[in-house]
Amino acid sequence: MMVQPQGVRGHSRQLGLFLAARLAGYIVFATAAWLVGSSIQRAWTGRAGIGQAGIGQSWLMGWIEVLLAAALVVYAVGWPHRRCAAAKEAQGLVRIGEGPGPLRSGALALGFLTGINLCPPFLVAGVRAAQLEHLPAALLFFVCFFVGTAVWFLPFLSMGFVQRTPAVVTVARMVAVLLACWYGISGFSILIERTFYG
Amino acid sequence: MASSSSTLRAPALRGPAALRRPKAFRGVGRSILLTLPIALWSLLMFMAAFQRAGRDERIGSAVVIVFMTALFFLMMRTGETYRWRRIFFVALGFLFPFGFIASLIAERGTMSIPISRMVSGDTPFCFMVTPTIILPAAFARTIIFPGSILPTASNPHSIAIMIGIWFAMTLVLGKAWCSYACFFGGIEEGFAAFAKRPKLHRFVARYSHILRLVPWAILVFVVLVSAAIFEPVYCMWLCPFKAVTEFPAVRNVETAIQMGVFVALFVGLVVVLPYLTKKRTQCGFFCPFGAFQSIFNKINLFEIRFDRTKCVDCTLCQTSCPTVALSKESIAEGKTLLNCMKCGACVDACKKDAAVWHLKGTPVAVKPERARLLFLYGAWALATMFGGSILAGSVSTMIHWLPGM
Repeated sequence: MMVQPQGVRGHSRQLGLFLAARLAGYIVFATAAWLVGSSIQRAWTGRAGIGQAGIGQSWLMGWIEVLLAAALVVYAVGWPHRRCAAAKEAQGLVRIGEGPGPLRSGALALGFLTGINLCPPFLVAGVRAAQLEHLPAALLFFVCFFVGTAVWFLPFLSMGFVQRTPAVVTVARMVAVLLACWYGISGFSILIERTFYG
Repeated sequence: MASSSSTLRAPALRGPAALRRPKAFRGVGRSILLTLPIALWSLLMFMAAFQRAGRDERIGSAVVIVFMTALFFLMMRTGETYRWRRIFFVALGFLFPFGFIASLIAERGTMSIPISRMVSGDTPFCFMVTPTIILPAAFARTIIFPGSILPTASNPHSIAIMIGIWFAMTLVLGKAWCSYACFFGGIEEGFAAFAKRPKLHRFVARYSHILRLVPWAILVFVVLVSAAIFEPVYCMWLCPFKAVTEFPAVRNVETAIQMGVFVALFVGLVVVLPYLTKKRTQCGFFCPFGAFQSIFNKINLFEIRFDRTKCVDCTLCQTSCPTVALSKESIAEGKTLLNCMKCGACVDACKKDAAVWHLKGTPVAVKPERARLLFLYGAWALATMFGGSILAGSVSTMIHWLPGM
């Protein structure tokens, strides 16, 4: 996204959308984690416990990674379609930050999906949120967590200069495809494992 | 400049060897004189081996001293670089796995290593993971590789020492590391040398502008994912050379898939494609460490340049380049691309002496042989120190295993 020819203002808008969607993902996850945690505490303590929640999370993790992989593939291979009038249905996701309206949906989708991507530290934070007594406390915990991780995205604002090198865009697309393969395989592995081994 | 159709035609040459200069470039006496520093350096490097008791080690070291000195003499005598360097490099490529596997078999009886031993740091450090460990090591004082940063009693060859050696060599060689120090690239260079003519030259010529970007993509992917999951992704999933060195023991479906990937990548990128293309396909179209090394070409003093007043745009240099580090545009600008490994193939292939070695900051094509000599002294000294010690170890192992020895 950051190598699209937009300038610093455009990149700031992109990054803002991405981070906003990511924050939304964090909040959704924090809420879900807290609800699950409080439900377990209220109803299932001593019967199902954390084990059931773990299975649910793994299923979710598998689907999230598969969705993320699909988004990356569309993002990577979709750019050439900008010149193709017949590919209008893909434009909403792939033409990121080029103008108003639906063209920003790619940044939002990617931000949200990475915001609810259940990486190990995220799961640990989720368990911590689930253990908290009040929902605002869980949300505050995840907002702080978000601020800590969002800082690392700021240097990307200065990457506009790479737009002068077309090779960088090609490499970025290749990386998106490779990451899509990685997350796709990872997601399907989880789903297959859950299907056959429970 | 030649047309694109001429580029796509089956090249008439059979590599730089077919174009070698037919005469003695220098006299014997002068060549010996120029070889003397390398001969002394080789003796110095292996002096310790002669003081040790092992007969096999002494023989191995003596063989390497003669081998490296003779090759450098031939470089001086003939004026060719690629042809003699390739002999060293292919020998290194094939003998490194031999010695490495032999040591693994002697130590633990198998090439495989259980994950538990891997995690505890029993696997030797490999320079390939350098790009993935530098940033975490700098910012978080931790590394994405099983091992210790500083030396320990059980592992004196710490990662810090290995990184130090790599960095010193990289400052001298730039991306020439991939042609004079890497102990993997020689295998594919050997398989590339087997074929008389390339069979996929049209494909390579047509897609070279895309193919040469793939290592960069893999580099970014490996760095990102390694940092995200805190695991050396390249070692665990993508290294073709795991198939001929050390690999995780196959204990479940995941490790079986890993092994399948290693074998497929090795057979495809290191054996089959080099034979079909006469290119170093793993180095040029896959290796993320090679892409990382390319960055250091920017700060390295030595490079290959093209004297446009002599160049006739025959594209022999482009065809001969084993890693597609030349394009028509770069030749027109008198430069190589960033991924040039300074192997010397283009210089040897050029019939008009338009491709020349160059020391940055000096005029192009003025005393290019001086630039070549300066580069070769550094490169060959490091090749003798690093690759030579590997060769000596493998040769001594070979002698040890020979029946009746």
